[in-house]
Amino acid sequence: MPNYLCMQRSQPGKAKGERPSPAQMEEMYAKFNAWREKFQKNIIDMGGKLGGGKLVTSEGVTDGPFVEAKEIIGGYMLVSAESLEEAIEIARGCPGLVSPGSGVEVREINTP
Amino acid sequence: MTPPTLVEHFFRHEYGRLVAMLSRRVGVQNIEAVEDAVQSALMTALESWTIAGLPDNPSAWLFRVAHNELLGELRQQTNHRRIAEQNAKEDIATPENGPEVFLAGEVQDDLLRMLFVCCDESLPVESQLVLALKTLCGFDVREIALRLFTSEANVYKRLGRARSRLRKLPLRTGELDGEQYCSRLAAVSKILYLLFTEGYLSSHTKVAIRRELCDEAIRLATLLAEHPAGQVPDTFALLALMHLHAARMTARQDGSRGLLLLEEQDRELWDQERIEVGLKWLAKSAQGNGFSRYHAEAGIAAEHCLAPSFQDTRWDKVVACYELLERVAPSAIHKLNRSVAVAEWQGPLAGLSVLEGFEPPTWLAGSCLWAAVLADLHRRCGNAQKAKRYRDVAYELAPTPAVRQLLQRRLRNGRVTGV
Repeated sequence: MPNYLCMQRSQPGKAKGERPSPAQMEEMYAKFNAWREKFQKNIIDMGGKLGGGKLVTSEGVTDGPFVEAKEIIGGYMLVSAESLEEAIEIARGCPGLVSPGSGVEVREINTP
Repeated sequence: MTPPTLVEHFFRHEYGRLVAMLSRRVGVQNIEAVEDAVQSALMTALESWTIAGLPDNPSAWLFRVAHNELLGELRQQTNHRRIAEQNAKEDIATPENGPEVFLAGEVQDDLLRMLFVCCDESLPVESQLVLALKTLCGFDVREIALRLFTSEANVYKRLGRARSRLRKLPLRTGELDGEQYCSRLAAVSKILYLLFTEGYLSSHTKVAIRRELCDEAIRLATLLAEHPAGQVPDTFALLALMHLHAARMTARQDGSRGLLLLEEQDRELWDQERIEVGLKWLAKSAQGNGFSRYHAEAGIAAEHCLAPSFQDTRWDKVVACYELLERVAPSAIHKLNRSVAVAEWQGPLAGLSVLEGFEPPTWLAGSCLWAAVLADLHRRCGNAQKAKRYRDVAYELAPTPAVRQLLQRRLRNGRVTGV
């Protein structure tokens, strides 16, 4: 099965939802665990959030490529799936990933 | 890998625990910064735990994160710099050297202290209640509005009032002294009682939501009863009445969520274990000379719990308890309830005579309950016309369809009993 890189992208201009209450967080936590269990065979690397960084080019090292970027990549994970469609379904099912203010880019990783 | 599990209401109760612990450390004057830090720590936990799994000690983990966040925030607030430094000296915590272990007693102390802080005499009761729900139970404004059947704007207003009061408390005297614990105890009991009755009596919201309020009230009242500051007979009686009511809560609804009368309830559904707990607290409350409304109400609830059937209820005892209740907490509603109990004991005519010459206050006269009881008593006495008049009023005033259904069932066909 091919692997797919899922990149969480924040979508500027779109309002984020209200701050969740503790009870809602508990619900989200339960949903997330249910999702992870359902797709445990597909999730290769839960990845994580991405922190600050630098852009390294032939001209040198500059402060992040992010200054100009309208859509910032906030996190990533790796999944395996039969098809791009299935990978999309897995990513879509991940609680909170696709929500107002956040989307996910799913790309197949081509290995020779 | 099996997903890690947390106890039910973990996030909400951690919220309360952390707010209590942190506001003791930096002063309740900083309650808003404390709440923000706790909220943010819970969010961090949600993100981190879902990816990396649960840490060994989730509570300690949360405390460290919230504490660091809070100290950072307070340091930034220049006008609060002094407080931050003063307090941080004692236990400046970093993820490496932060306190790992908390004595259970200390946490209980902090929670209880926060409960007493919430019950500030200078605040209206509504504000005290909202503050307790927010800080100790971890409900947010939307959730509080839903539970108290009021608007979010109203909750904000009450909360704002409470917070501005806390901000104005003199620095370093946010600590309560023994005397304040003593003088606020009655207010604390009252808030817990209100919290419970909001859940138990409200006919507005879903039963699961109301049940949650009752559970919160019992959780906090247990905390109070187990703490030196709250170990008085009144507290025990309060806890007894909560358990004795809560034990019968599920039996109050039929399969389709309609309300059931006491006499229609399947007594098999009553939670016997909880009734035992309630009776133990009631026994414990029978010490000293004090007799509070909680004693009287727990006594009434106990009579119902112990009665093998509706008919075999010791109505004379119930009536006696209502008389005591009227004496310690005079209210027209208690008189009305007594008339219902008297009607069961000595017949509808005797019930009516309790109310003879009694002018109900307008809030009661305009209520569905008053009309329903009179409709029933008159019907049972054969005063058809009066009965019909009150019945029509009762239907009209019914606050919810469930209550109206119950009234129609009671007032048309069968005997009626309130209580």
